[in-house]
Amino acid sequence: MDNRVIFDKTTPGRKTNYIKKPDIGIKKPDELLPQETLRNDLILPSLGELDVVRHYTNLSRLNFSVDTNFYPLGSCTMKYNPKINEELAALCGFLNIHPYQPEESIQGALELIYNLEKILREITGMSRFSFQASSGAQGELTGMLMVRKYHKINKSKKRKVIVPDSSHGTNPATSSMCGYETVVVESNKDGLIDLDKLSQAIDNEVAAVMLTNPNTLGLFEENILAISEMVHKAGGFLYYDGANFNPLLGITNPALMGFDVIHLNLHKTFSTPHGCGGPGAGAVGVNDKLLDFLPCPLVNKEDEKFYFNYKVKHSIGKLRAFYGNFSVLVRAYAYLLRLGKEGLPRVAQNATLNANYIKAKLKNYYNTASSKSSMHEVVFSCVKQKERGISALDIAKRLIDYGMHPPTMYFPLIAKEALMVEPTETENKETLDYFIEAMLKINKEIDDNPQNIKDAPHHTPVKRVDEVKAARNPDLRWQCKKIGA
Amino acid sequence: MPYILNTEKDIKEMLTTIGISSLDDLYRHLPNQIKINKKLNLPSGLSEQELRSFIIALAAKNKTINEFNSFLGAGSYKHYVPSALNSIISRAEFLTAYTPYQAECSQGILQAIYEYQSYICLLTGMDVSNASLFDGGSSLAESILMSLRVTQRKKVIISSAIHPEYKRTIYTYLSGFNFKIQEINFDQQGLTDINQLTADGDTACIAIQSPNFFGIIEKLGKISSLAKEKGALVIQVANPVSLAILKEPAAQGVDIVCGDGQALGGFLSFGGPSFGFIATKNEFLRQLPGRIVGKSTDKEGKTAYCLTIQAREQHIKRERATSNICSNQSLNAISAAIYLSLMGKEGLYDCALYSLNLAHYLHGRISEVKGVKINFSNNFFNEFVWNVENQKTVIKKLYKKGIISGLALSKFYPGLKGGILSCCTETKSRAQIDEFIETLKTILN
Repeated sequence: MDNRVIFDKTTPGRKTNYIKKPDIGIKKPDELLPQETLRNDLILPSLGELDVVRHYTNLSRLNFSVDTNFYPLGSCTMKYNPKINEELAALCGFLNIHPYQPEESIQGALELIYNLEKILREITGMSRFSFQASSGAQGELTGMLMVRKYHKINKSKKRKVIVPDSSHGTNPATSSMCGYETVVVESNKDGLIDLDKLSQAIDNEVAAVMLTNPNTLGLFEENILAISEMVHKAGGFLYYDGANFNPLLGITNPALMGFDVIHLNLHKTFSTPHGCGGPGAGAVGVNDKLLDFLPCPLVNKEDEKFYFNYKVKHSIGKLRAFYGNFSVLVRAYAYLLRLGKEGLPRVAQNATLNANYIKAKLKNYYNTASSKSSMHEVVFSCVKQKERGISALDIAKRLIDYGMHPPTMYFPLIAKEALMVEPTETENKETLDYFIEAMLKINKEIDDNPQNIKDAPHHTPVKRVDEVKAARNPDLRWQCKKIGA
Repeated sequence: MPYILNTEKDIKEMLTTIGISSLDDLYRHLPNQIKINKKLNLPSGLSEQELRSFIIALAAKNKTINEFNSFLGAGSYKHYVPSALNSIISRAEFLTAYTPYQAECSQGILQAIYEYQSYICLLTGMDVSNASLFDGGSSLAESILMSLRVTQRKKVIISSAIHPEYKRTIYTYLSGFNFKIQEINFDQQGLTDINQLTADGDTACIAIQSPNFFGIIEKLGKISSLAKEKGALVIQVANPVSLAILKEPAAQGVDIVCGDGQALGGFLSFGGPSFGFIATKNEFLRQLPGRIVGKSTDKEGKTAYCLTIQAREQHIKRERATSNICSNQSLNAISAAIYLSLMGKEGLYDCALYSLNLAHYLHGRISEVKGVKINFSNNFFNEFVWNVENQKTVIKKLYKKGIISGLALSKFYPGLKGGILSCCTETKSRAQIDEFIETLKTILN
């Protein structure tokens, strides 16, 4: 395959006409606008349609994806993305509506948002949701800015946010973006929050504690009610990072666990595709305490009509233009309707079952990061392999040769040589067995042929990439010397 | 159960392997008082057949923009989208992959993003671009936060002719800090009032949109010189399609350019998903937020791509990261790269040129209608403001005739109570514009 960048494939003069020339006399830009506002030249490639189709189709084939490969990337919930949801999200009635159309012409879209919110309220126990956030991290920002504004209005002097040392990097980064100091609380030997250390850290200056539950070791924080009491006593909020909500669907919910403000990653738990890194959607839910702080607008209903409600008393405002990643909401809504009340707990149970099955089969060969019972993901700590000269990275790269996307590596930071495996509920037992077998073969190969692992992957378009070189001598774009020459 | 493949037999075997007897046992360590011990109050799951009819009916409750003669723009633009674009971007190997953490099995994503970054640099004239942000509003907020980090100053100046929803986003994003935000009004011409611009030694940036919210091309050169005198950075929000004909931001002294990429082959989609872009000079690279793809080699010396300069990001730097962003809008960014490749140099130029011409044709025709007043500058790209008395009634009457004339500016600018912002892209025709004008004439007479 010709793997030059698209810019090097240009042939001046080649083009495809896609648009119609309007039947008005077309004037040149300088006849309509002052010369000093115009650019001299524009460097873009000139290609035919097949050139472009073949280029990007071939690029797509260099990737692992859920549809082509097992993708047990921990913390990311790479479940199957149902095809029907793609078809429905692409309906003309959803794709071709403008955000500023009159409300009477967008009743279907508003109804969908309203109904989706109702379902999420039932699943989570929260009072209301905003769908503005485009990702989990932006959801965190939304939630924590609400916390900030609440404290400001109530004149309580808060300046710290507590996160456990196992937290996602987005949690402390969000805390900083809200102007808070981050306080990290260590986990105990089981990988759960150390209650003593937490109680030492909590004081009246704590605005909130941000938690993921199950945590990033895949463990359920069993003391969640005690934690909740501690935070609330000190006048702080308990924030739920819903990245790992999948194993709890219909089993428990954030409200029962004592959380005040949450985000759900619709692209994880509710099956919307990850699109090489996005778009996602972060649905932010709050209990009654924070209702008046939600971003606006919300979607309300009155006399069978749906409308945007901008009257949110202490609203933090907007996180972006318009209303959020609407077509992601369409997919999540379709998924929820398809699963229904019986399906959602089955999702949770099977996600947990699949992870525990892998753990049971591998725990005698690979250390687990904790002896506690796992939920939807299991974190292996490849220290025994490391002692024999093979790192978690090596194992991850060798898995690619077996046609599987590697698990999340070196995260959470508290586990040494971590491989975080999240199989999700949509994988079948044969796939899990194939993964287990590959992990066992690699473990054996450490003794037989370690170099073969260190050289992995062998069958990919490129071998291990020199990331140090990429960072030292940044080449971040194509340079336009050659075009047209 | 849809999408769950374990059979009862599988489940039994797996439970035995784990050493427990039921699925409930997986949850036995959860405290009882937090368990939901009843069915969720939701309907039962639908068959795919039922789901399809139900959602199709819901979508049919919307009237799409295609059913109107619409002149709506204001940050969300209907451009023609080549069929090949949807075909390529729907490929599951793009759609169902995630962030390319594992470079060796993600070369296609990485190269496509590298090409996207290159396209943004070519359009803006800047040195470096990231792999995308969420949308125009949040990309502006991130640009402003970036200027605050770069300059270590405490004050930002923003033009009130920036998209009002972007402005609101800035206030939200900065609400955790004690930065001062000063808003500069627009003048009689609809341009940011340069006479009000008083940057000082504590000004981190001057943020301008050009073409601004009213469609008008701002005098960026002048604003840049004012900013440079005080060591402040200039941030420009730009419409990427306009850059096919308008002067590139880098040539006007802009330090950070950002905006929304929806116009590059994205559907309206009720305002999202689109993507935000951000590009800057090499010297500010270490303060860029978000993912960046770089070109390197593999261990055999072959060209290979990977995520790079990651020591800015939350998964490495945690509370000291340049932003909390993790997931972005990659698919939309890659889609924009494909759009630009399909349209090509001439295609994008034509798209911008036809939009410009149609908007100016509408402007010419509407300015002749009795009862219509135009106060703002003629130096606009694809949208402009016209004024009429009883604006809301006029808009409603036009709507009844199937015409969406544009955005009533009183929604955001109470001072512009007769103002309507109307837009033309290459998707409009002379016949549609003429119909609008004739109907408007009838209504106003």
